[in-house]
Amino acid sequence: MSNYSRLEMMAIAGARLINDGEVILVGTGLPLVSTLLAKHSHAPETVILMEAGLYDSYPQALPFCVADARGVYRTPWIGTAVELMGQFLQNKLVDVGFLGGAQVDRYGNINSTVIGLYGQPDVRFEGSGGACDIAVMAKKTIIIMAHERKRFVERVDYLTSPGWMVRRYPDGKLIPRVEAGLWGGPYAVVSTLGVMKFRPQTHEMYVESFFADMGVTLEEIQQNTAFPIDVTQAKPLESPNDSELNVLRQVVDPEGIFMKY
Amino acid sequence: MAAKVQRLSLNEAIALVNDGDQVFTGGWTVVRRPMGLVYEIVRQKKKNLHLCANPGGPEVDLLIGAGCATVGEINYIGHEVFGHPYNFRRAVEKTQTPGYRHDDWTVQTGALRIMAGAMGLPFLPTLSLKGSDISLPGMDSLQDLRLQDPKLPRKKLAVIKDPFWEGQEVVLVPALRPDVCLLHVQEVGDKGTVRIQGGCFLDYYGAIASKLVIVSAEHIVPENQLRDNPERNSIPGLKVDIIVELPYGAHPTALFGYYDNDPWWFRDYLAASKHQETFVDWLSKWVLQPGNHEGYIEKLGTERLHALQADPVKGYNPHIRRRLDKLEEVGGR
Repeated sequence: MSNYSRLEMMAIAGARLINDGEVILVGTGLPLVSTLLAKHSHAPETVILMEAGLYDSYPQALPFCVADARGVYRTPWIGTAVELMGQFLQNKLVDVGFLGGAQVDRYGNINSTVIGLYGQPDVRFEGSGGACDIAVMAKKTIIIMAHERKRFVERVDYLTSPGWMVRRYPDGKLIPRVEAGLWGGPYAVVSTLGVMKFRPQTHEMYVESFFADMGVTLEEIQQNTAFPIDVTQAKPLESPNDSELNVLRQVVDPEGIFMKY
Repeated sequence: MAAKVQRLSLNEAIALVNDGDQVFTGGWTVVRRPMGLVYEIVRQKKKNLHLCANPGGPEVDLLIGAGCATVGEINYIGHEVFGHPYNFRRAVEKTQTPGYRHDDWTVQTGALRIMAGAMGLPFLPTLSLKGSDISLPGMDSLQDLRLQDPKLPRKKLAVIKDPFWEGQEVVLVPALRPDVCLLHVQEVGDKGTVRIQGGCFLDYYGAIASKLVIVSAEHIVPENQLRDNPERNSIPGLKVDIIVELPYGAHPTALFGYYDNDPWWFRDYLAASKHQETFVDWLSKWVLQPGNHEGYIEKLGTERLHALQADPVKGYNPHIRRRLDKLEEVGGR
């Protein structure tokens, strides 16, 4: 047995996807945990933005939301969603958008709105927040969510945040992202089982690496994915090192708010 | 003409809110929400409110649960990491005839809509929403109300080709034109100048866009005191109509430099709001029976309030532990 959890492995795998110096717009929860882990380790020059108006945030304690005083303290400048989302993001100044969600499909379309019919939902979630804006306008997006069959679905129940096959206005037909005039697009999906990326031509999700050292198998990934997923190029992901685990446990989330120690 | 700022009691201020009003609430999710003003709306049993906070937090979930709101044009309703908005969920899940009708938006388009309202423009363009179900006419949950309700735009949005540059498709989003803007802030001058710390969010735009602006504050201060550093002030008194002194007026949400989120409140509220019956009991115990804001603060108790005190420099309480499953008890429950 490994001495770390799948949640920790997921947070670490997410952090490794961030390159030093990138401007990254993050949501609360796991995206923020991964991003702070990267900032505290291999990517100290990362510029962390939050949609409520925070610029170059470097919190000493884990923020509970994107407006938390923990994220505000000692920022060099603070704006509002008008500047962050209406200007920085729309004017292509954001390299990476880091998002969670309830469902994802093979094209990286995300649902964070409802399960079931929109007009009469079985389960209602909080809603887009800034996720749709970020998925539309960041230069690339990283998605992080638990790997379950009900989450990795053939079709998202509601397309909140556009991936590689998106809704045409006004009839809703699915069309390639570029035909809708959108730049950017999903770069990777980090889950509790591995890291998925998208084929350059078809934009379909495939497994790039998996958490082999935690006993995860490629069959397990296929069983927990409701669409056919190519695993032929999957490689075992490098185990977390002591430094990554220490920073995650002692600096980023010592209370276990997201890591649930 | 500049508005003549009136200093009123909480009760008098909220008496100016009418049934059916479109209401903008300041702050962001679980931060600096005008909770004291919202509790009083519940006490005065306002009906058919049309909410347009972008995003909404506990104040929106509470107004839906208390039966005060029938329409929302909102990008998010929730309590962030604390838990789910059960009143909102219950109002729209598994029902074809909800008492509350919800229209989904996004952070950017919510910001542009209130900014359009502040600019006196009918709409603003955006490159967001393209490719999302949020943009589709078939997913417009308020469509049947649009031509009947004068407070709703006749269409959710429009798509045009950019007539000036490359000719790409651009989405036009309609202005929000709230009747009432409710804000809670750290300081307001006696002539209405607002000084906010720790992020203004969309409060400035909400104030400029709304017909009636009610600001509650931890302190009402002499206006002269705010003239030393005008760049630290957030909203000019030009559009502030009513000021109310209301210490702890953002509780249980956080107020930078004053107090942190109250995790005990969120634990109790989340447990109670899972069912209508227990939520009604919670409302009675925490909002109605205390009778007014002073009663509410007294019920919270000094030990509890002390546990929330923020470090004045850091803005938050560095000692508070926020995991609801591992909370230690504190007095006042």
